[in-house]
Amino acid sequence: MSTTELPRKETNVLKGHEGAVLAARFNGDGNYCLSCGKDRTIRLWNPHRGIHVKTYKSHGREVRDVHVSPDNSKLISCGGDRQIFYWDVATGRVIRKFRGHDSEVNAVKFNEYASVVVSAGYDQSLRAWDCRSHSTEPIQIIDSFADSVMSVCLTKTEIIGGSVDGTVRTFDIRIGREISDDLGQPVNCISMSNDGNCILASCLDSTLRLLDRSTGELLQEYKGHTCKSYKLDCCLTNTDAHVAGGSEDGFIYFWDLVDASVVSRFRAHSSVVNAVCFPLSLLFDGTQKKS
Amino acid sequence: MDSDEEDYVFYGTPIEREEGITSRKKKAVAEASGQLRTLPSWKQEVRDEEGRRRFHGAFTGGYSAGYFNSVGSKEGWTPQSFVSSRKSRAEVRQQSIFNFLDEDEKAVAPAALMGVRQRLLGGRMGLEVLIRWENLPEHEASWESYDVVNAQFPDFHLEDKVRFWGGGNDKPPVRFTYARRRRRGGFSEGAEQEVESARQPLDERQRQEAESARQLLEEGHASKLVKGREELDGQSLGTSSQFDTFGFTAAQLALKQAEKEQKQRPSAIPGPIPDEIILPATVSIGVKLLLKMGWRRGRSIKDSHADSLYNARREARKAFLAFSSDDASAQAAPSESIQGDLENYIEQPANDDVRSSQGTHVYTLTPKQDLHGLGFDPYKNAPEFRERKRSRISGNRDPEYRKAPSMKNNLFGFKSGKVAPGFGIGALEELDAEDEDVFASDYDFEETYVQEIDEPSTKLTVDSKRKLITNEQGVLPGFRIASKADYQPERFDPPLVPKDFEPHHKFPGPLETDFRVADAGPPEVSPPVDSNLRLLIDGVATLVARCGKLFEDLSREKNQSNPLFSFLRGGNGHDYYTRKLWEARLKRADQNKYQLDEKVSPSMQKLTAESRGHILGERPLERSFKDASSSVASSDSVHLQYNLSDTFTKPKSLSGLPEVEKPFNDDPAKQERFELFLKEKYQGGLRTTQFSGASHMSEAARACERLDFEAAAETIEKGKEGKESKMPAQHITDYLATGAMQFTSGGLQKAEDPHAEDSITKKLYPKREEYQWRPSPILCKRFDLIDPYMGKPPPAPRTRSKIDTLIFTPDSIKTKNIEETVTENRDSFATPQSDTQGKSKDVADKELEVEVEVENVERPVDLYKAIFSDDSDVEEDTTSNLNKAEHPEKKAEAANTALSRLMAGDFLESLGKELGLEVPPEPPYLKNKSVASTSEKEVNENSRYDKIQSIEDNHGIPYNQDMSQDGRHKKNELIHGTASKHGSIHSEIGSSENKNDLVNLEKNPQEDRKDKMRHRRLSSSLSSEDERSRRHSRRRRHRSSDSDSDSSSGGRHHSRSKSKRKKNSREKSTSSGTRHSKHHDRRSRDSPSRSRHGSAKEHTKAKREKH
Repeated sequence: MSTTELPRKETNVLKGHEGAVLAARFNGDGNYCLSCGKDRTIRLWNPHRGIHVKTYKSHGREVRDVHVSPDNSKLISCGGDRQIFYWDVATGRVIRKFRGHDSEVNAVKFNEYASVVVSAGYDQSLRAWDCRSHSTEPIQIIDSFADSVMSVCLTKTEIIGGSVDGTVRTFDIRIGREISDDLGQPVNCISMSNDGNCILASCLDSTLRLLDRSTGELLQEYKGHTCKSYKLDCCLTNTDAHVAGGSEDGFIYFWDLVDASVVSRFRAHSSVVNAVCFPLSLLFDGTQKKS
Repeated sequence: MDSDEEDYVFYGTPIEREEGITSRKKKAVAEASGQLRTLPSWKQEVRDEEGRRRFHGAFTGGYSAGYFNSVGSKEGWTPQSFVSSRKSRAEVRQQSIFNFLDEDEKAVAPAALMGVRQRLLGGRMGLEVLIRWENLPEHEASWESYDVVNAQFPDFHLEDKVRFWGGGNDKPPVRFTYARRRRRGGFSEGAEQEVESARQPLDERQRQEAESARQLLEEGHASKLVKGREELDGQSLGTSSQFDTFGFTAAQLALKQAEKEQKQRPSAIPGPIPDEIILPATVSIGVKLLLKMGWRRGRSIKDSHADSLYNARREARKAFLAFSSDDASAQAAPSESIQGDLENYIEQPANDDVRSSQGTHVYTLTPKQDLHGLGFDPYKNAPEFRERKRSRISGNRDPEYRKAPSMKNNLFGFKSGKVAPGFGIGALEELDAEDEDVFASDYDFEETYVQEIDEPSTKLTVDSKRKLITNEQGVLPGFRIASKADYQPERFDPPLVPKDFEPHHKFPGPLETDFRVADAGPPEVSPPVDSNLRLLIDGVATLVARCGKLFEDLSREKNQSNPLFSFLRGGNGHDYYTRKLWEARLKRADQNKYQLDEKVSPSMQKLTAESRGHILGERPLERSFKDASSSVASSDSVHLQYNLSDTFTKPKSLSGLPEVEKPFNDDPAKQERFELFLKEKYQGGLRTTQFSGASHMSEAARACERLDFEAAAETIEKGKEGKESKMPAQHITDYLATGAMQFTSGGLQKAEDPHAEDSITKKLYPKREEYQWRPSPILCKRFDLIDPYMGKPPPAPRTRSKIDTLIFTPDSIKTKNIEETVTENRDSFATPQSDTQGKSKDVADKELEVEVEVENVERPVDLYKAIFSDDSDVEEDTTSNLNKAEHPEKKAEAANTALSRLMAGDFLESLGKELGLEVPPEPPYLKNKSVASTSEKEVNENSRYDKIQSIEDNHGIPYNQDMSQDGRHKKNELIHGTASKHGSIHSEIGSSENKNDLVNLEKNPQEDRKDKMRHRRLSSSLSSEDERSRRHSRRRRHRSSDSDSDSSSGGRHHSRSKSKRKKNSREKSTSSGTRHSKHHDRRSRDSPSRSRHGSAKEHTKAKREKH
C-alpha cells in the first residue's frame, strides 16, 4: 500500500455508543466490526454500510476488550467487572463466564482454534481459559509480570503479553520457555506484524517500538504522537508497510515502517483516539469513525 | 385316544413322517448356524416360506437358481444400476494374453514355491517343486517338474528359490497335494511310458515282470539273481515307511492295497478303477526289474553286476577254502584267482565314489537323526569315522553284506581283528613291515588252522594276507596312493624386490649427538686470517655440533653460491672448520654427560615455583598480611581454613579490570570494598584477606555484603556481555534492592541520578531474558502442541534471587535485640499451645509430651517466624522493646509477671506432689504449660477460664484491625491501652485473690495471653477469629511434627474442637460483647484510640459481672 492509499478521511461514522469506546475490532474477513465501551455494551457493526447489527449487553461495568473467534461464531469480551464473557454471536447469549481475575481484565484473545481464551488482567497475570470444557477455572495462570498486563497476543504456539512493568513476555508453549523483553517503558499495547516476525509495542513515553521477535532487538522507534496516560492501540497496516497509531490529541498517525517518518496524520476525533484497528479508528466521545 | 394308547404297548420310537422331520431339522440347522447368508453360495439352499427345500426342473439334486427359481432378483429383471460406457468408449484396452485364456488357464502362473522333493521321473531321479499357482488357493498347489517349470516360467527364477530352499521348519507341511496333469508339453517319454504301463491291467503287468525275470534267469545268472534278490528283499524290508523319503514303498503299498481291493470288490464299471488309471506309475518297469535283480538306487548297473559277480566268486572261494588243506603250497594253487579277486576287491572301495558319479545322479536325502545343526558335518575331515558310524547303524541290519566291505576299508579294521598281536604296538600305531614279519607267518598257520571251522576267521586270514600285500606297497592299510592329488597347496610368490632396494635404512640427516668423542680429532689447524670467516666458522661449527649433520647439509645447500660458506664444501677454511666442529662436538658430549649426571636440564633449572605460578596465572603470595594477621588473630582456625579454601580462584581471561561501576556510591567505604572484590574476582589468584578484613563488621554483615557484591558483579558482567558499555547501574540496584535493604545500613534506597538513567536506558533496552516456563498440559492440548514438560515433575517455585533465601539463615546473623524478641515471643507462643493441649489431654499424656517438647521448643518458633511473620516484625519488635523500656508501667507489669510465674511454679510443685507426679525442673514456659495442665483438673475453673479467654479473644480483633489500618504512631497508644487494661485485670485478680490459690492459674494464662496479643499485633495480617484458630493449629503442627504423628493429628483435631467450644462459650457469655466489638470495628476506623479505650473498659466491666 503506497502512501496515497492510506486513509485520510472518515468514510463512515458509527454512532450508537453512549460513552467512550474502548476497543474496536474487525472480524477475520473485515466485513464486520465490533466495538465496546464504557456503556457496558458490545456492538456489532457493518462498517461498510454503517449499519448497527447487534448489541450485546451483559457486562456489569465497562467493556475493555472484545475479540471474535476465527469462525465468527463466538465472541469473547472482558471488562471492569473482572469477568470474561463468552458469547454466542448469533443469539447474543452468554455461553459462559470466566471468573478468576482479581481485578479488571484489560485484554482478551482467542487462540487459533478458539479453544482457549487468554486474558490479561490488572492483577498482573495472564490467564488461559478453556472454552471446550465446562470448568470455569483457568487452565493456566501466568503471573510472572510485575505489573498490570495491558495487552495480549497469541500465535499458534506462543502467548505474548505486554505489561506496564515494561516487559513484553513471550511464552512459548512448545518449548516451555518464557522470553522477557524489557523495554524499560510501560507497554500499553502490543500488536503483531502480519508476518509474525515483529512486535509493535506502544509505550507510555509516546513511542511505538518495533521489536524483532527472534532476537529481541529494537528495530525502530516511532515518535511524534502523544501517548502518556491512555491505553492507545497501535497496529500495522495489512501490508506491513506502515505503522498506525492513535494519539491523545485526536490524531491518527501513520509512520513508514522502515524509516519511521510520519507519513500521514490527520485529525480523526476531537478527543483521544482510543483504539486503532486498521483501517478503523475510534473516538473517545462515543462515535466511531471509519477512515 | 388316551384309553387306546393305554391298551397298546409301544416299543422303540415311533417313525415320524420324513418330510416333517427334515424340514424341521433343516430349519433348526439353519437357525443354529445363523443365517444362511453366511454360508458360501454353493451351500445355500432355496427354501419356501415354510422352510421346505424347493426343487425345480428335472433335477432332483436340489440345485436352485435365481430368485425363488425365477430369473432376476427380488426387484425383477431390471438391472440394478446402469453404467454408461459412452465416456469410456475412447479408452484403449490393452490386450494381453490373459484376455484369451480360460479361467483356469489364467491360473497358470507360479505364485510361490512351497516345496521341493526328489522323485523318480522317467527312470531317473528328478527334482520336483511344489508350486502354488497364481489366483488359486493354496490347496491347489501342485508338484511340477523342476525343469519344466524352470523352462516355462523363466521369470519365476526357480533356480534361485530352489537353491535357497533349506529344510527349515519355518513352514507348516503341506498336507493336501496332488499331482496336476500337466497341460503344456511336459510329457516326457518316460512319463508317457509310465502312464501306459500303468494303464495295462495289473495282472498283465505282473506277468510281464515275471516274464522278464524269467528271461534274465535263462541267461544263466540264475544263482546270482536269486542271491541278489534275497539280499534285496532283506534290504527293502528294512526300509520302513519312516525312512521312505522317495515315497517309493508307500506308493507300492498303496498300489498293492488297491490291487487287493480291486480283486475283492466287483465294480460296476469294468476295468481298473479311474484312480488307478490316473495314478502315475511311480517306477518304470525297467527300474522295477533292475531292483528285483539287485540293483540299488545310486549304483550303476554295471557295478551291481560286478558286485554280484564278486559275491559269487567269494562263495566259490569259501567253498574252496573249506576244502583246501592248511599248507601254503596248497594255497598257492588257487592263489592266482584269489589274487585277482583281491585286487578286484581292493579296487572296489576306491571306486565307490567314482561309481556313484558314473551311474544315475542321486540326491541322497539322508534323514537327519543326529543332534547336530543343519549342514554341520562332524566327519568333515574324518571320513573314517563317518564310515564307522554308518556301519554301526546299518550293521545290525545286514552284517553280512554291509560290514564286510566297509569294515575292511576301515582304518580300524585291524583293531577289531587280531591283525598284529605283537607286543608294544599301539592300536593306532602304524604297522611296520618288520613287525609284521616277525610274527605273521607263525600266526597265519595257527589261525587258519583254527578257522577251518568257522567262517569269519577265514576272512580274517584273508585280511591279514591282504595287509601283507599292502604293506609291500608301502601304503597305509586300506589306503591307496592317489593317481592324481586333488589337493594343490596354493603358493604365493614373494613380493618382488625393487632393483634399487638397499637392505639398510639410511637416515637422511642423523642427529649425531652420539658422536664418539673418543675418536681422534683432526689435526690442529691455525685459524684463517680473516677474522670474519673465523667467526663464521666457529658459529657454524657450534651450531652443527648442536643441531646435527642435517644443519650442515642444509646450510651447505642454501649457501651454495655464497663464497663465504665455501669451507663447508671443502674450500677455504675447511680444515679449520672440521677441527672446530670436532671441538664443538667434544664440548657438547661433555655437556651431555654432565647433564646426565645431574639429571637436570638447564632449562628446567630456571623454572621456579614463581615462574610456574606466573605461567599458571597465580599471584605471588604477599609477604605482608597487615589485616590478615589481625583477622587471623581475632578469628579462630576455622575461619582461616575458610579463607584458604577461598584463596584459589580460577583466573579469568578478562584482561583488565572491568570498568568499575559504582553501585555503592553513597557509601564510599563499601564502594571501595566492592572494587576490591571485583579486582579479586576478575584477576583471580590469591585472594587477599583484606576483603574480609573489615574488622569492624560482624561475620553476618560481611557475608551479606559479599552476596551483594556477587550479585552486583554478576549484573555488571551480564551487561558487558550483552552490549558494550551497557552498564545498568540502575539494574544493579534493582538486584540489590531486594536483599541489600535487609542487611545493609540503608542509603541504597536513594534514587539514582536521573541523568545516568536516561543515558543508559536507550542502550540498555530492550533487554532480553529467558526463563523456564511450564505450560499446563491442558493448555498444550488445547493449542494442539506437545507438552514440552510431559512426564516431568513440577518444577520448584522460582526464587527471585539468592538473597531471598537468606531470610532462612539461622538467627545468629540477626542482631541481639531481635533475638530478645524472639525469646519473648517464644513464651507467648508456648502458652497458647499449652492451653489447647491442656484442654484436651489428660495429665499423663501431657507429661510425656512436655518432656519431648522441652528439647525442641525453640526451633519451631523460629521457623514459624521465618515463614509466617513479615520482615517488618523485626523492626516493630525493636520499637516495641524500646517502648517497653520507656514505659515504667511495663516494667511493673513485667515484674508482676515474674512474681506470678514464681507463685504458679510453687503451686504447681505442690500440686504435682499431691498427685504423685514428678515435676521436672523446667524452664519458665514449661511451667506455664504444666500450669495449664493442672487447670484442666478444675472443671468449674475451666469454664471460667474459657470465659476469660473469650473476652481476651474479643480484645484481639480490634487490636489487629487497628494495627492493619493505622500507622505506627498509634502503637504507643495501643500499648498504653493494653497496659491499662492489664492493670485493671490485675487489680481485679487481686481482689478475688481470697478465693483460693487457683487465681494464680488464671492470672498466668491471662498474662501470657497478653504477650500473645502483643505478638499478634506485631504480625500484621491477622484479621479474623477463624484464621487465628487456624494458626493455632498450624503452630501446633509445627511443634508436634517433631514428637510424633499420632499426637499431631489428635492435637489438631482437639484444637479445632477446642476453638469451636471457645466460640460457643463466647457466644453465650459475651453476646453483647461481640456486638460491641462489631460496631466498634466500624468506629475504630475513625478513632481507634478512643474505641480501644472504650472497648477495654467494656470488657473489664463484663468480666467483673461474670466474676
